[in-house]
Amino acid sequence: MLIIPAIDLIDGKCVRLEQGDYSKVKKYDCDPVKVAKKFKKQGTKLIHIIDLAGAKNGKPKNFKKIAQIADETGLDIQTGGGIRTYKQAEKILNYGIRRIILGTSAFINPKMVRSLINTFGADRIIVSVDAKDGIIMTNGWIKKSSQSIEDALNRLRDTGLEIIIFTDVKQDGMLKGININNVKKVLGKGFKVIVAGGVTSTEDIKQLDKLGAYGCIIGKALYEGQVKLASPNNLAKRIIPCLDIKNSRVVKGKKFINLKDAGDPVELAKYYSEMGADELVFLDIMATVENRETLYELVSKISANINIPFTVGGGIKSLEDIRTLLACGADKVSIGSYAVKNPDFIKKAAEQFGSQCLVISIDPKKINNKWKIFIKGGRQNTNIDAIKFATKMAQMGAGELLVNSLDRDGMKTGYDIELLKAICSAVNIPVIASSGAGRKEDFLKVFKNTNVDAALAASLFHYGEIKIPELKQYLLKNNVTIRI
Amino acid sequence: MIQIIDYGAGNIKSVQNALTQLGVSSKIVSSGKELDINCKTIFPGVGAAGSAMQTLKERGFLWKIPKIKAPFLGICLGMQLLMDYSAENNTKCLGIIDGKVRKLQKTVKIPQIGWNKIDQLTPQNLLFKDIPDQSYFYFVNSYFVDADSNSIGSTDYGIVFTSVINKINFYGVQFHPEKSGTIGLKLLNNFCKLC
Repeated sequence: MLIIPAIDLIDGKCVRLEQGDYSKVKKYDCDPVKVAKKFKKQGTKLIHIIDLAGAKNGKPKNFKKIAQIADETGLDIQTGGGIRTYKQAEKILNYGIRRIILGTSAFINPKMVRSLINTFGADRIIVSVDAKDGIIMTNGWIKKSSQSIEDALNRLRDTGLEIIIFTDVKQDGMLKGININNVKKVLGKGFKVIVAGGVTSTEDIKQLDKLGAYGCIIGKALYEGQVKLASPNNLAKRIIPCLDIKNSRVVKGKKFINLKDAGDPVELAKYYSEMGADELVFLDIMATVENRETLYELVSKISANINIPFTVGGGIKSLEDIRTLLACGADKVSIGSYAVKNPDFIKKAAEQFGSQCLVISIDPKKINNKWKIFIKGGRQNTNIDAIKFATKMAQMGAGELLVNSLDRDGMKTGYDIELLKAICSAVNIPVIASSGAGRKEDFLKVFKNTNVDAALAASLFHYGEIKIPELKQYLLKNNVTIRI
Repeated sequence: MIQIIDYGAGNIKSVQNALTQLGVSSKIVSSGKELDINCKTIFPGVGAAGSAMQTLKERGFLWKIPKIKAPFLGICLGMQLLMDYSAENNTKCLGIIDGKVRKLQKTVKIPQIGWNKIDQLTPQNLLFKDIPDQSYFYFVNSYFVDADSNSIGSTDYGIVFTSVINKINFYGVQFHPEKSGTIGLKLLNNFCKLC
């Protein structure tokens, strides 16, 4: 969902009103260009600028300032306020402003909306549906129209319009949160809906996202620091095939038993790299001393053949083990049981090699409503609280957490969303979701509902049940940031 | 022939593997004495700024790197060390390019690990030849370059930072081209073809 910071302008300056009341003006950081730059620095791509003086007077009054913001920041801008004629709209759009917002004029003159859409495309025209008690408000929210929301939407549908802004006038500028029942009236009516008015907390944002809103506009709450632009960035969510290695072959079994042979690791690694895997994880499930040399050989071979990052895990017990694996070309090492027994080891390893190469793999299982850490391939309960342990690992210098779930492993019923949510909110390092994926919907769900950075799966990919390119296209289509 | 600077901490093997895949021969250079100032150079960096600068000094690289006349590519920490100063261990760096290295803000997960986009500020730069704007590359970093100028590519991770830099023959990339799949190899190949 888009989170769009708002700038309202009167006389070239930033203001916020309460419930659209022009007598309740609050002025903020005066130069809107500065404010826009600040939003840009926080990662915004798109800002919402309303020419309040224009809205009230029925013709644009602050276009120069808006053009200046566009020129100086290079940001995408959606702007409205006083755009009543085709000519005014044309001028703004031809200037290169991304989208214009029509309010009053759209309801008086739907024909104009249609011809603008025909010329500039539906992606550049927004109609703002501003309502108070279910009735459309116009002329800078001063005038009550005779149209209900329902009537208005029906009339707009014929114009080819795709994007609307729904403003709940009563909530706007009140910092009291959104009125979900009002928002629900406009969702699911065939428009992409951007919600404005009362978006005050991250809870509001989450709720709107869940309801399927296309975006939300944040004004006062942002200026007053109640909401921060949620660490927006372009970092792609990673899809990671995991290859369990035994005697230099790839295996994967249900709940760690009944291992099946699923192929040659080097060939598989190359294949996955070409398919668009973002990273690979190799776990040596034998991890015996005798096995070490073969593992090193294998890692060197993999490193020579692929150039995407890969992690190697299994039986790491010393700084020397880590050093050798990194020297063979591994980018990261994954440490499980040994970190549980020797948390200080992680600190030493982080000091020596840096956090970026340390992935801590944990195997939680729910016992009496608490997640406990298990070791020895899931056979032994340590009674350590998984969330606390995750926090501790982050403090010790872990670079990433690979979170398995003994309740979900091999079950194909989806990732353990609750567990992952709990871990993500406890740490500020990247989290890799593991265990339980069965369908592509499971990947979407874990990315939409939790703050994980990557999702890992094994047999699903090895047996071709899900093809990575198709999975990535599917996620991309559903607005997950994905590298294609 | 490309010389790869080895100061004992960088993951030079991945870079060497990538060059091998491109059919470019390379040699490892472990001291300033061996460094040829007329040879194309790649400087891969992993680890912390403080100890890296210390080792560069001990191995006699410090005074010689700025004298290099051939194209030079710093990767990750190797890019950061080209700047004046790094907030990591409060370190004075090589000072070849103007600007500072700062820590990422706590509003994002640290380290940044994963694939992020490059916004090409000067797409005509030969390093970007045949690389589409907004392509993804693989990043691993907790610090970023805040350049005064010379920025030719930027990336958004909580804040917009310089991810590709170029001053005369010195280039730097914050990401790991050797770990960035085909597109990364293309960028390395572009570097290898610079004259």
